[in-house]
Amino acid sequence: MATLLEADNITFSYDKKGPKVMDGMSMKIEEGKKTAIMGCNGAGKSTLFSLLNALRKPDSGKVLFRDKPLTYRHKDIIKMRSEVSILFQNPNDMMFKPYVEQDVAFGPENMKLPKEEIEERVQESLFAVGMEEYRKTPIMKLSYGQRKRVTLAGVLAMRPSVIIMDEPTAGLDPQMAYEVMEIAEQMHSSGVTVIMASHDTDLTYSWADELRVLYGGKCMYAGEPEPFYSDFESVQKAGLLLPTVFMMNRTLADLGKGSLEPYPRAQSQMALKTAQHKDVDLGVLHVIKAERDTDIKAIIDDYQLGGMPTGVYGMSARMALRATSTDVDFLYNGPENCTMKCLNGQDSVLICDPLMFDKAVTSAMFINEHGFGKINIDVV
Amino acid sequence: MSEQVEMDELAYSSRMVNWAPLGKLLFVMCLLIVGIVTDSILVPIISFTIGILLMAYSTNLKLPLLIILAIGEAILIMVLGSGMISILGDHSQPAIWEGQFLWFSIYMTEDSFNLAWLIFFRAIAGVTLMLAFASSTPIPLLSYALKGLRIPNEIIELVVLIYRYAFLLLERFLIMIDAAQCRLGYNGSMTAMKSYAGAMAGTFIFSMELAEKSEAALACRNYDGTFPIFRRPANMSVLWVILSFGLAIGLYVFGMYTGDVINPAKLFAPLFGWDL
Amino acid sequence: MSEIFRLEDVTFTHPGTTRKVLNKMNLTIEGGSRDAVLGMNGAGKTTLFYTLTGVYKPQEGTVYNHGEPVDYTRAGLQNLRSDVAVILQNPDEQIFCSLVEEDVAFGPLNLGLDRDEVERRVSKALRDVRMTPYARRPLQQLSGGQRKRVAIAGALAMNPKIMIMDEPTAGLDPQASMEVMELAEKLHLQGVTVLISTHDIDIIYKWADTSSILYNGKIEYSGPAEGFYSDPETVYRCGLLTPSIFNMNRDICAIDGMDVDPYPRNCCEFTAKFGNPKESGRLVCVAAEEETAAERYEEVMKDLKGVQTGVYGSDVRYALTDNGIDFRFDAMDMCFTDAVRGKDSVLFYDSIYTPTIKEQADKLRKIGFDVDLEVI
Repeated sequence: MATLLEADNITFSYDKKGPKVMDGMSMKIEEGKKTAIMGCNGAGKSTLFSLLNALRKPDSGKVLFRDKPLTYRHKDIIKMRSEVSILFQNPNDMMFKPYVEQDVAFGPENMKLPKEEIEERVQESLFAVGMEEYRKTPIMKLSYGQRKRVTLAGVLAMRPSVIIMDEPTAGLDPQMAYEVMEIAEQMHSSGVTVIMASHDTDLTYSWADELRVLYGGKCMYAGEPEPFYSDFESVQKAGLLLPTVFMMNRTLADLGKGSLEPYPRAQSQMALKTAQHKDVDLGVLHVIKAERDTDIKAIIDDYQLGGMPTGVYGMSARMALRATSTDVDFLYNGPENCTMKCLNGQDSVLICDPLMFDKAVTSAMFINEHGFGKINIDVV
Repeated sequence: MSEQVEMDELAYSSRMVNWAPLGKLLFVMCLLIVGIVTDSILVPIISFTIGILLMAYSTNLKLPLLIILAIGEAILIMVLGSGMISILGDHSQPAIWEGQFLWFSIYMTEDSFNLAWLIFFRAIAGVTLMLAFASSTPIPLLSYALKGLRIPNEIIELVVLIYRYAFLLLERFLIMIDAAQCRLGYNGSMTAMKSYAGAMAGTFIFSMELAEKSEAALACRNYDGTFPIFRRPANMSVLWVILSFGLAIGLYVFGMYTGDVINPAKLFAPLFGWDL
Repeated sequence: MSEIFRLEDVTFTHPGTTRKVLNKMNLTIEGGSRDAVLGMNGAGKTTLFYTLTGVYKPQEGTVYNHGEPVDYTRAGLQNLRSDVAVILQNPDEQIFCSLVEEDVAFGPLNLGLDRDEVERRVSKALRDVRMTPYARRPLQQLSGGQRKRVAIAGALAMNPKIMIMDEPTAGLDPQASMEVMELAEKLHLQGVTVLISTHDIDIIYKWADTSSILYNGKIEYSGPAEGFYSDPETVYRCGLLTPSIFNMNRDICAIDGMDVDPYPRNCCEFTAKFGNPKESGRLVCVAAEEETAAERYEEVMKDLKGVQTGVYGSDVRYALTDNGIDFRFDAMDMCFTDAVRGKDSVLFYDSIYTPTIKEQADKLRKIGFDVDLEVI
């Protein structure tokens, strides 16, 4: 994998006398990976982001984008920022215009795109965050969660190749948090490199391929999550805690209930790894791969899938769903909800964006591959 | 605005932060007044030295660039100003230098030259003393101190809240500028203008929302209309009064007897070959 | 248990709007309990809290405090609010002074307490949130997490009988969140009624005795959390999720034909239930005060060289900062989990937490695991 963004031995402080916020920070972000950045309050996450986005200039060291050091010339910075986007933690910080559509168009307009293209992007990104009926609404009237979605649309509309999300789920209720995570997965499926900073150990553990841990202005760990969490002393030093699932898995392995590996990362994986009976009949997971114009109603009727618990996952699936005005049970967190139904012996249907198929069946595949049970995956 | 922030940080980290604000104020005022009412140039020079020493103590000998720049700026302005004074002498007196510069007629007399020096030192002494005071007295402490001067509660409260919210709004504004940059908000000057306008509007909305929420939060914390002060800044002790007035009177007397000791024109005469 | 608050058909609409944020809400809050208030954004949690403190006066219905309808006169409200403290999600909304110490003293001074008492409370509150070195610092120089601590200290200094915490862990890193939960537990043990509203379902499930679920301005459910989570359709409708540990327990029990009850709520209970642990590791629990902790440590560890150690409670944590403690956060669960694994450990804790430790051991016993517990 190619390195997309790199910090090379950066030092930085906000004022000369002040403490070094970055003190020999070196890290690489690989293209196409889901990278989680963790660290305690004050470890320097936000500062790192502003350095990666050329909002600040390091006192020493280099930031490299696609292996080229940043020049900090106006033209280059503009080019780079149209590729690297930051989603700020507080949506109110990103609201520049009074109306939703104007605000979403803010980025594309600044990119000096033609009118039609802007219109198309605004429409698409508002749909992606489920806010298209609020196009003409004043932002003042939106709730916190809705504002968050609008800012996310504003970032999507710029079609970046890297998106940095600073605490994307903070302050959101659980359902909305899952919506945001689904959008992040959608972007990742379409080839965007997603970087996420979060304090939620469990969430990042189930999501990330790669982990970067910041401590004292340095990158103290880079790599897969498990080796880091296996070294408890470092975890504690970094101000973090073990993910619940990781800790349970380790304890059960110590008690002789199964081996340490494979590491379960989601609750359904953990549950099935723990259960004694591996031969119980689990439900069938029917997956409908839905393009935008797929007639879902017809498929459900043809294959007699009506009446089962149904979930949806991914943008094209949602579009198809709306076109045929079909109701579903799980509008968010579809894959995990459907898999859970299967664990309870019920068949379920997941209408899924073809791009997102792999993500949708991660847990089911994990269970099947390691012989922890058998969920029949029926692709329609 | 960022200068205010730096000034604020400076004030809080000053070694003189716990000195009585009113005492410091009285001290500075006394020195300023005595500098104005005496004609001896030595008095403002002494005041200036005291100001510099105080500042050196306050910042622990690490004069920040901000302060040096401020004093430098004052000196620069005053050089120009006193320069003007010095060349606009009274024509009834003999000139020590006369000439024409563009459409200015230069007429410098011994008195105008001396007056210019006096005003120059008064001015920079004033600036230095005020800076020494401002860089060691955070605004909240000052406003609490003002309470002792029977300033109405409402005004003090207003100062305290404005001060607190000024920082919150500034913080918000700076973050919004960052966010605008991320979304290419500075791609061209027109766009930059729009982004600033957007950030201003956003900050304004934020202030409205904050004000609305604060009302309820204040009520929750049992606010009854008067802002209490926990740790009152040190009261001005008699020592401050004695010190301030004593020094002022001392300097005044000193000034009376030393009015003629230093005559800048005489000092410079050999240099320029003036005939006094 | 005595009833602290009772809401009867309370309806509240914000002036100038039409939506009933609270819509004929009925709720009873018992004294001395660990309460969670859950609900999606916009369900009316914040409005409920402001109604309890008398900031919002309902248009219909009555709020009872200790059985008496709330008195909305100035004196009555003063009285009510000296009992109830609120910590808001965003600290900037409730911090009014520019200096840390001044702000923490703001509430107590408004109560009209004498200076010495205020002094005592401020220094204790700042210590409890680990902000003592910042007492004279201006707020604008602090980070978001530090401001949160100041806001918490401001509420602690009121010595409230009821503590309402709105998203107390939001924006805090995991260890700091654990400290806040420890603090909540401590308040509970001191007899304070603690009401926490949060989106972090997993954290709150470990802690709360009763959960009240808000939906559309009404109370959808009130009681032990399991009763609510057992009904997935309602959970989903209310915009919530079931805690992952609850889900796992349900799924495993369904597959293996076990009884879902007793419900494990944390790691040690989960592993005790499903790991078939054999022999318990020895868990030595040492109650200590801040002054004695270092001494106790020396004394106890003389005979227990090389055994894993943990601390629970802020007093002991400060006192043993330099002692090379293995588990500095979430140590209760870590040490009990070690016991389940058959490993020995020593837990130093603030003596006020004794009931919590006993409770944890009882809980494990119910699951069928006897911890080799020694409290000294």
